[in-house]
Amino acid sequence: MEGHPAEAPRHEPRAGQVVLPRVDAELAPSDQVRVLYRLSDPALSELGLDEFLDELLVRVRDALSVDTVAILLMDEEGQQLVARAANGIEEEVEQGVRIPLGLGFAGRIAAERAAIFIADVDHADILNPILREKGIRSLLGVPLIVEGDLIGVLHVGSLHPRTFGESDLAVLQVAAVRAAPGIERARLFSALEQEHRVAILLQRSLLPKRLAQIVGVTAAARYLPATDEVGGDWYDVFELPRGRVGVAIGDVVGHGLRAATLMGQLRTALHAYAIEDRGPGSTLEFVDRFIQAMPDDAMATAAYAVLDPLDGTIRVASAGHLPPVIVGESGGRLLEVTPATPLGAFSYGAYREHEMVLRPGETLIFYTDGLIERPEVPLERSIDEFVDRVSGATSAEDACRLAVANLVAAEKLRDDAAVVAIQNVTVPAELRMWLRADPRVLADVRRALRRWLRDRGADERSSNEIVLAVCEACTNAIEHAYSPAPAHFELRARADGELLEIVVTDSGQWRPPHGEHRGRGLKIIDDAMDEVQLNTNERGTRIVMRRSVTR
Amino acid sequence: MRISDVRFSDRGTAVVARVTGEIDLSNADDIGAAIALEVTNRARVLVLDLAEVEYLDSAGMRLIFRLQERLRARSQTLRLVIPAASAIHDALRLAGVSGVVEVLETVDEALGGA
Repeated sequence: MEGHPAEAPRHEPRAGQVVLPRVDAELAPSDQVRVLYRLSDPALSELGLDEFLDELLVRVRDALSVDTVAILLMDEEGQQLVARAANGIEEEVEQGVRIPLGLGFAGRIAAERAAIFIADVDHADILNPILREKGIRSLLGVPLIVEGDLIGVLHVGSLHPRTFGESDLAVLQVAAVRAAPGIERARLFSALEQEHRVAILLQRSLLPKRLAQIVGVTAAARYLPATDEVGGDWYDVFELPRGRVGVAIGDVVGHGLRAATLMGQLRTALHAYAIEDRGPGSTLEFVDRFIQAMPDDAMATAAYAVLDPLDGTIRVASAGHLPPVIVGESGGRLLEVTPATPLGAFSYGAYREHEMVLRPGETLIFYTDGLIERPEVPLERSIDEFVDRVSGATSAEDACRLAVANLVAAEKLRDDAAVVAIQNVTVPAELRMWLRADPRVLADVRRALRRWLRDRGADERSSNEIVLAVCEACTNAIEHAYSPAPAHFELRARADGELLEIVVTDSGQWRPPHGEHRGRGLKIIDDAMDEVQLNTNERGTRIVMRRSVTR
Repeated sequence: MRISDVRFSDRGTAVVARVTGEIDLSNADDIGAAIALEVTNRARVLVLDLAEVEYLDSAGMRLIFRLQERLRARSQTLRLVIPAASAIHDALRLAGVSGVVEVLETVDEALGGA
């Protein structure tokens, strides 16, 4: 018995389209479902993506007795669906049909991530003329979703009018759920060999997806897998207590799955020890202990640095790793760091810490040997060439781009290669921050302001007082932001000789303090600053604070 | 990144809550909730050790006053440990808090009458 599921109320009605609620897979006849479940994963089998999709389409067509089946995948920009495979409407793929997100039949399935049924194509909002030209009368489509990300749409069509019911939807959903992760992986790794694929998959999932964003520094990184065999290179950038930044790089000795797994363990161990607020020498000692405690023989080189953006102090230690490079206005130079022994190489590894200053504008670069080693070229010469190559870098991103430039062009990469760079950003004389009205930005405000005040010559006590007053003003801006949309506020700080002027502007209404223990903020601002003006009108509130650097 | 940590220890009939890091609008309520959970009815004194707090603003002061009220209602006492050299001493002075709550130099001093 096939019914008409009611239209879900949250979807806007559109001509001829009916949005169907999700259906439990149990409703589907088991034989049809079983045939779909038996599809193997293309990323982990000999089947390429094309064969996998063709196989999937045939099984879906047979399971549902439909005339057409098509798969459209999201393009890289996430703006359009592109026909990727079709059965019965091969023209879709041949003509490279593209459907903008949100429009027509497939576009709406993608935008709303909902199943849609069209009983009569002639009276429905559809974009793709091929559907009509082929004489399709009824359509049913579902979204393809992997880990919450929409990757495409799967739809089936019938040349005679047909009411697709709950059991049809259930079968199509099973096909979508079964196929989506495979398609996604196959897309990423279709060109690669199987074990290599698995290792890359692992490697990718172990490296940070996004580098930490920290006030006062910018970071960038690149990882290039070897052509034949994955290695154990890793990098990391993370935030530490008190606004400091940790940067790490490492290279596990060996190749393949084992090296990639070990890399993941060491990266985690280093981050975990580092977050305890140890220095780089002690952190590497603990990672060394960790690796010695592992049942298998394992060895890795690594380097780890801690940067305090407040004064540019950098502490660095190396466990047998290549020397770090610093690039600034006067070009690039190698850092004199005791290389020490690799992690896991020696029972009592000791890692000397070196302290230096990364001046504003300068960039620290860590890299692995895959980036520099060339057959029959002595290591020292390769390192010098690397320093030359990156010496013109003006930012962390630029440094990474230059570091891998010649490798990207190379046809074959013998070893995997990683590079990570952090730049101590110059704080402008006039500080302008556009901030989300979220209490978590307050710590960022303090870090940026302390550094700005330091450059203006403020002593610690004055700095503490001014930071406190400004944070009170920002706290007000955050507490008064009550618009439903994400609200923002602005912080501006400038100096005229000894005189500082700091302005916090928000678009919320100043509300008199209410409740006990409120309103203390304004008193703090008054006491800490020489002059305070509070302007509030229907467009927002503006606090102007002035005082001399020291008093 | 979490900007502060709270660690608890029992000292006789007193509970010592040692906060390190920074206290502002983003974490004051969470710290208050963590402390409320640890201070049972058996405790007579809560020693709030702020010696290693590097930043505290009006949101943190609100936390202190609320704690004090809550404890007073249960006949418990709040004592603050803030050494004169502490980074947050100026903040408390600016806000005129000193004098409202008992402020001591060390944890041992604060435990003296417990």
